[in-house]
Amino acid sequence: MHPLLANRARLGAYLLGWLPIALLLMGIARSQGWSWFEAGVLALPLCLLAAFLFLSAWFLCRAMPLGRTVEGLGAHGAAWGLAALLMGGLWAGLAWLLAHLLDWVPGLGALPQRVSTALPVLTGLGILLYLASVALSYLMLAQDRAIEAERKGAELQLLAQESELKALRAQLNPHFLFNSLNSISALTAVDPTRAREMCVLLSDFLRRSLGLGERRLVALREELDLARTYLAIEQIRFGARLQLAWTLDPAAEPALLPTLLLQPLVENAIKHGIAALPEGGLVAVSAEVVEGHVILKVDNPVDLDAPRPEGLGIGLRQVRQRLLGRFGSRARFEAGVQDQVHRVTLVFPLETEP
Amino acid sequence: MRALIIDDEDLARAIVREHLAAHPEVEVAAECANGFEALKAAAQYQPDLIFLDIQMPKLDGFEVLELLEAEGRRPAVVFVTAYDQHALRAFEAHAVDYLLKPFSKERFEAALAKAQRLQESPAPPAATELAASARHGKPLERIVVKDGPKVTVVHLDRLDWVQAQDDYVLLRTEGKNLLKQQTLASLEAQLDPNRFIRIHRSYLLNLDRLVRIELDTKEHRDAILRDGARLPVSRAGYQRLRELWEGA
Repeated sequence: MHPLLANRARLGAYLLGWLPIALLLMGIARSQGWSWFEAGVLALPLCLLAAFLFLSAWFLCRAMPLGRTVEGLGAHGAAWGLAALLMGGLWAGLAWLLAHLLDWVPGLGALPQRVSTALPVLTGLGILLYLASVALSYLMLAQDRAIEAERKGAELQLLAQESELKALRAQLNPHFLFNSLNSISALTAVDPTRAREMCVLLSDFLRRSLGLGERRLVALREELDLARTYLAIEQIRFGARLQLAWTLDPAAEPALLPTLLLQPLVENAIKHGIAALPEGGLVAVSAEVVEGHVILKVDNPVDLDAPRPEGLGIGLRQVRQRLLGRFGSRARFEAGVQDQVHRVTLVFPLETEP
Repeated sequence: MRALIIDDEDLARAIVREHLAAHPEVEVAAECANGFEALKAAAQYQPDLIFLDIQMPKLDGFEVLELLEAEGRRPAVVFVTAYDQHALRAFEAHAVDYLLKPFSKERFEAALAKAQRLQESPAPPAATELAASARHGKPLERIVVKDGPKVTVVHLDRLDWVQAQDDYVLLRTEGKNLLKQQTLASLEAQLDPNRFIRIHRSYLLNLDRLVRIELDTKEHRDAILRDGARLPVSRAGYQRLRELWEGA
């Protein structure tokens, strides 16, 4: 289906575009001594005819897409020329036919004669108009392609984001899972109440992280709840080796942020901080609001004997990417070690659910 | 039979202890929360059997085993781990016994029985070999050295060069020399070949330390290092360096 026929507004605009051409045609006719009546009665229907007839250029253009180089332009040119010649001729022929059909109308008796004289001019004009419509068709095709490419790009990006989230959900750390189950197994004999408590915590954590993975944006409150559940489990596993400190400003809690952004940070804090140190240490999570921005920090101790890895690990890189992907230059990501403490800081604008 | 339980998590040790309670023939000599404690306890109690966690702070299970071997100790080993596919494949390949957390009583009994049987038949795989297999082709990140009573962990970015000394290698790190019983070839095989280059029959060089090569006399080159030290470069070693540069 031709794109101009598929859309009423477009079709209207297109036909309106032919009006000046019809007026031009009338002007030319007048200058040749035609009466207003003769000029109008021929030019208006002829232009309407041309408008639909020359739409066919689009099908030709679609069948012969333009290449990137001038190569093959000869064949294209020949095809356009031939089509223009045919269409121009056809159009002039239709004018002649119209004139003969109307010669019985009073005042139009001279029309066939006038048209016959004007046939070369009409043919030439038809060829030019057809070529113009070829150019217009290529423009429309290019625009369609651009829109299509944009749509596909957006679709791909959406797919990528979704698969990224899926990957995050699938990243449920098997180490964490099996070690937690092992802790439960140990507790069933020595402390059944705590074993049950841990079962509940673990279920809670799994349910929450599965639920969060379905969404793109989430309130910080929910991320904090997940982190709290996770750290409560790790605290049972690591015992006195893991101390926790929370400093949370309630004003920060409704802030929206990309899903599962905090979780990799606390998991890192356990893996590289607590689990790597025989004596463990303090994991501190803080969230405050300063001048319309949320400042979210996760601190953990580090093993100073171990070499500092260069750059960020995959986990932190992903967090950075997703944070900046959402907020752009309005957000900031920092990670570094100072005084034996590894700190990750996220700063992002406080935006809440409308 | 004396046993050690080595795991950095209290609850994980508790479970092994609980299962061992049904075996009066096995005496739990000590529980160790990290590799250093394990080495001390091993020297003190001479265990016949160890339950060894792999993921521990400072020294991992493989490194603990390697250091025990360096002291001439060869207890029966049951590895206990939560999740490490490559390690599992290595255990299977070397017929080493292991327990996956969490494990059943039956599984524990089977592992214990096997360990007790294997105690009489020696020749388990060398710990370094087992560890290399568990790393699954990834190069070594650090080297553990027993230096008298002290254990030193050398991270590879702090290792300048290695020199062959008969059955030993001399490791040069942060101005100190450490000796480790290992051949240069076997150490070289575990290191990243793009990072440590065999510049000479007796020398492996951390490429990061190299400043330039000087032509001493005809056919005789020296590598000049960042700290000003000079190491000889053989013709084959020079060839290897050039290949690396040209490939880069």
